[in-house]
Amino acid sequence: MEKLKEINGNSIMWKSIKEEGLDLEYCVPIPVSVARNLFLELEDTLEYFTGDLAKIKVFGKIYPLPRLQVAYGDPVITYTYSNITVPALPWPAPVFALRDFLFKLKGVKYDFVLVNKYRNGSDHMGEHRDNEPDLDPSYPIASISLGQERPFILKHKDARKPGKYKKAIPSGKMPSLRIDQSDLKCKNGCDYFGNPQWQGYCSKCHREQMQRQRKAEKASSATLPKPEQKKTERSLKLSTHSSFSKFEEKRLRQSETLKKANILKFNVFKKSIADDHDHPPEKRQPEFKIPAMVNENMKRDFRHRFPTLTPQIDRDARIFVHSFIMDVIKWANVTTVDELSEMVQRQYQRFMKHMDTSSHFANVDSDTKELLMDFVEKHAMTYLHELPSVVFSPSGTDDERLDRAMSERIQQLSWVGEKHLECKLDRNNATCRQLLYKAISELLGMDSAWSPGGKLARVRRCCRHVLQLCGTAPASADDLLPALIFTVLKANPPRLVSNINFVTRFCNAQRLMTGEGGYYFTNLCCAVSFIENLTAESLSMDRKEFDCYMAMPASIGGSSWGAALSLHGATREAEEQRAIVHKLMEQTQDVRARAEQLANNALTFEEQIAKKVQDVLQKTPLEIKPRRELPRLGKLRDFAAPLIDLEPTLDARKPNPELLTKEPEIVSSDAEFIAREPEHIATEPEFITREPVLITTEPNLSTREPIPEALQPVKQMEPTIEVEEPKLNILGFEVIEKESPCKSPQNWYMKQTNSLELLTPSPLGFTPFDSRSIDELITPDEFGSDLAPGLSNINYDIDLSDFSGDNSIAEDAPKLERDPFSPEGLKKDIFDPFAPQTSRDGFVPLENFDEFSLVDSRRNESSDPFEVVHRNDPFGPNLQENAGFKGSKSILDDNDSPTAACLLPSPLLPQTSEKPT
Amino acid sequence: MTSGPYNYSYIFKYIIIGDMGVGKSCLLHQFTDKKFMADCPHTIGVEFGTRIIEVAGQKIKLQIWDTAGQERFRAVTRSYYRGAAGALMVYDITRRSTYNHLSSWLTDTRNLTNPSTVIFLIGNKSDLDGQRDVTYEEAKQFADENGLMFVEASAKTGQNVEEAFLETAKKIYQSIQDGRLDLNAAESGVQHKPASPGRPLAAPPAARDPCAC
Repeated sequence: MEKLKEINGNSIMWKSIKEEGLDLEYCVPIPVSVARNLFLELEDTLEYFTGDLAKIKVFGKIYPLPRLQVAYGDPVITYTYSNITVPALPWPAPVFALRDFLFKLKGVKYDFVLVNKYRNGSDHMGEHRDNEPDLDPSYPIASISLGQERPFILKHKDARKPGKYKKAIPSGKMPSLRIDQSDLKCKNGCDYFGNPQWQGYCSKCHREQMQRQRKAEKASSATLPKPEQKKTERSLKLSTHSSFSKFEEKRLRQSETLKKANILKFNVFKKSIADDHDHPPEKRQPEFKIPAMVNENMKRDFRHRFPTLTPQIDRDARIFVHSFIMDVIKWANVTTVDELSEMVQRQYQRFMKHMDTSSHFANVDSDTKELLMDFVEKHAMTYLHELPSVVFSPSGTDDERLDRAMSERIQQLSWVGEKHLECKLDRNNATCRQLLYKAISELLGMDSAWSPGGKLARVRRCCRHVLQLCGTAPASADDLLPALIFTVLKANPPRLVSNINFVTRFCNAQRLMTGEGGYYFTNLCCAVSFIENLTAESLSMDRKEFDCYMAMPASIGGSSWGAALSLHGATREAEEQRAIVHKLMEQTQDVRARAEQLANNALTFEEQIAKKVQDVLQKTPLEIKPRRELPRLGKLRDFAAPLIDLEPTLDARKPNPELLTKEPEIVSSDAEFIAREPEHIATEPEFITREPVLITTEPNLSTREPIPEALQPVKQMEPTIEVEEPKLNILGFEVIEKESPCKSPQNWYMKQTNSLELLTPSPLGFTPFDSRSIDELITPDEFGSDLAPGLSNINYDIDLSDFSGDNSIAEDAPKLERDPFSPEGLKKDIFDPFAPQTSRDGFVPLENFDEFSLVDSRRNESSDPFEVVHRNDPFGPNLQENAGFKGSKSILDDNDSPTAACLLPSPLLPQTSEKPT
Repeated sequence: MTSGPYNYSYIFKYIIIGDMGVGKSCLLHQFTDKKFMADCPHTIGVEFGTRIIEVAGQKIKLQIWDTAGQERFRAVTRSYYRGAAGALMVYDITRRSTYNHLSSWLTDTRNLTNPSTVIFLIGNKSDLDGQRDVTYEEAKQFADENGLMFVEASAKTGQNVEEAFLETAKKIYQSIQDGRLDLNAAESGVQHKPASPGRPLAAPPAARDPCAC
């Protein structure tokens, strides 16, 4: 009291806020130490209204006041508000001293005061105007606030009105006052800095204060169940008659986050706690038997994690966890969560101390001790976490509500992008997205971890991903924080506030203060509080734009997380597909390699054949052209087709894959084809002889249609395959799905078959022809039977020459037919790509190869599927077969008809049989 | 005393504060990347943002927290300060604006840390002397007026970086020796690892059974 008088009013720095209808002056006139004493004195002396006076009537309904209240004043004064008339009690000494103090400061002598005590963060005063008729409008209203910080919000009376009259007038700004004041030392005057979190005390004094308080409360609660004894924050409102005539003052609800020890167990207005008290703990206590499973799990985990430690330590740890859990459960019902948190921290310290002092732990190094600490914490907390409302979003706290609020807030802010936060994230970068997704899933996983340590580990992993996301080599908090905020916004983790509070309260405090987990957790807290307090300025954007975004229904913006998720899903899918394509490409490579090999083989084979043909030609100068060949050829062709049909028909009728899977067949056809080729080539000489000019095989090819065709396929192999491959990479994938492209390959095969047909007749007719097997072959035919025995090559030659003209015609005709034949049921039109070939084959044989390649390039698709599908496998055999055929050819070259006979008999027989019919 | 190469007796928590882009994280990395002590195997320093140093024969683990310096985060980054035994306040000698903001950084630090917290002022980028925007004398004067230790350093060349961290540690250690720093306070920023059993780590748990039942 005396100290109040000593305060020099002139040294006080007044500040003022002047707005329309507002004329406010404020200051911090009372030094902390004095204020504190005053506060304590008020705590001790004031007794608050109870009963009807502690109730309020709003819209006809009666509610308990959300605060404690008492009024003092000069005799006979009453004050009526909200239909309640409160009598003024005689001034108590400390309040009277304050009145004098005000008089000294401002020269106003007040005659009435309403004292409001806000016991905790839930206690408040609603919006009001102080325009009661009892108040003299010519006098200012004075408010003195003692205790903790509380927002004191002033709004213009039109603030509720819509449109331009809506006003927001800056609040009482206590926080800024606090910083202006250098008087930030501990309230105890111990020279440490005080902290609003600790009600202005330094940590040490705060702890002492807390303990003293608790004891006092215990004592008081035991004796008098008067809630008045609970101290926290108190606001004295000294008022005579309001003088803010033009100005309406409103105090909004004076909320503030729960501070340590502000809630007491008998707090009538805290529903949950009151309930707990109504059903005394005895009812619950018997239920709390720690399941044996906890013990078992601990044992197992201990053996697993600390195989080297003695069983004694194991036992100690389990005993500790047991008593720890029991204590927490016991206390959870009767204390506030902050007290509980303190008690938990003390338990941790106790165990730490136990480890340091006990002889069991003499040989345990400090790192292992820390691990043990974590171990103990994990097991105790994991169990406690399961219990509803004990340690995780405990009853009596706002955690759940805040969770919801936070979740809604984040949803509302879903439009905030990396640009707004100025963090360098590359949305288009796949790795970046991957990392972000990982970070998000870790953050989401925080909720499913049950111990503080587990949650911390999740946060740590999340932040590591985020750090990677930032990219820069020396990871910087300048980058980390924005990126983390972005991650939190995109993740919208469930029960975020509860989780953070849980870790803050029940994690071993030392670990939160240091270490990687602690650091990242601190960053997370920063991120969350940034999100809570996010404004247009903090995003450096235009206020209007910001408001626009915020007004946007959450559902619109809310989809972005979903979008992010689905985007990621799509990315993953794309990646899977990419992997498949990659695999296919490899296969293609393989096919390509094999195809090249095959092509090479074919080339060498061709060369060999050509050479051998040359040899044969030289050996046997051919001048006789058996006329009868012509009909024979035609017929043979006709019959050869069915022979080949077996394979090609399948090819033609069935879609690609099948075709390809049946490659062995194709291969065999190739083989046959190749095998026959020599024969065919062997035929060439005949033609050559017909047209005496050209002797070399190549020109023959050029002149004669069937021959080029026959040769083409062999050479086709190389160019087509080579051209196709590069394209495969891209298209292979699609092609597989389509069936349409099949046709072209079919055609291609058809062509082959055509050529085969062409060839087959020739081999049928000619291979033997060269080697005399012709005679044998012919014999089955109409003429052959007669001629064969007696006829020599010469005879045949003559025949041929006679019919040469017919022959050519005959051949042309079948050639035309061939197209329809070869497709076997398919129309010529389908052969479009090939049509030029065939037609040109006739005219410009030399160009064949080029055209072929061209054609192939045109038909990329067709070629693609061909290659994409596993042709490689069948190719292998191909090669082998080729090789085999080479061998066989040599045999053929030996003019040993048996081989030819072996191959041909089956087709021949039907032919013969058919022909007669 | 269980003496291994990395059996440290104390952990000091540092924070590095200052405007964005003054090189806070570079200083940190310059310091922690040289974390190999002659007698320490490489396992040391694998840990995040830490390095073990030796002061007066005592091994001390420094745990250094980098902080975000953007103005917009100022309001929310208070929790960084909690329990910091040392604060390295960094500005860029080539950018005056970063120097001008020092007073607000200092206010925050004083408000949010213990009185015993050692604050060290570092003028970074001393290698860019040609582009100097803040003279050494000016900054020195500022430091003296506010009772800060001061040095100009270069995270790039490493000049004076060690010194800054080490001097801070020495000062903190000194306060411990003088008893000015209360080891038992959770927010002191110093953890003592009792080497010998029997040394109390924390204040004796006073009300052991504050059970109200």
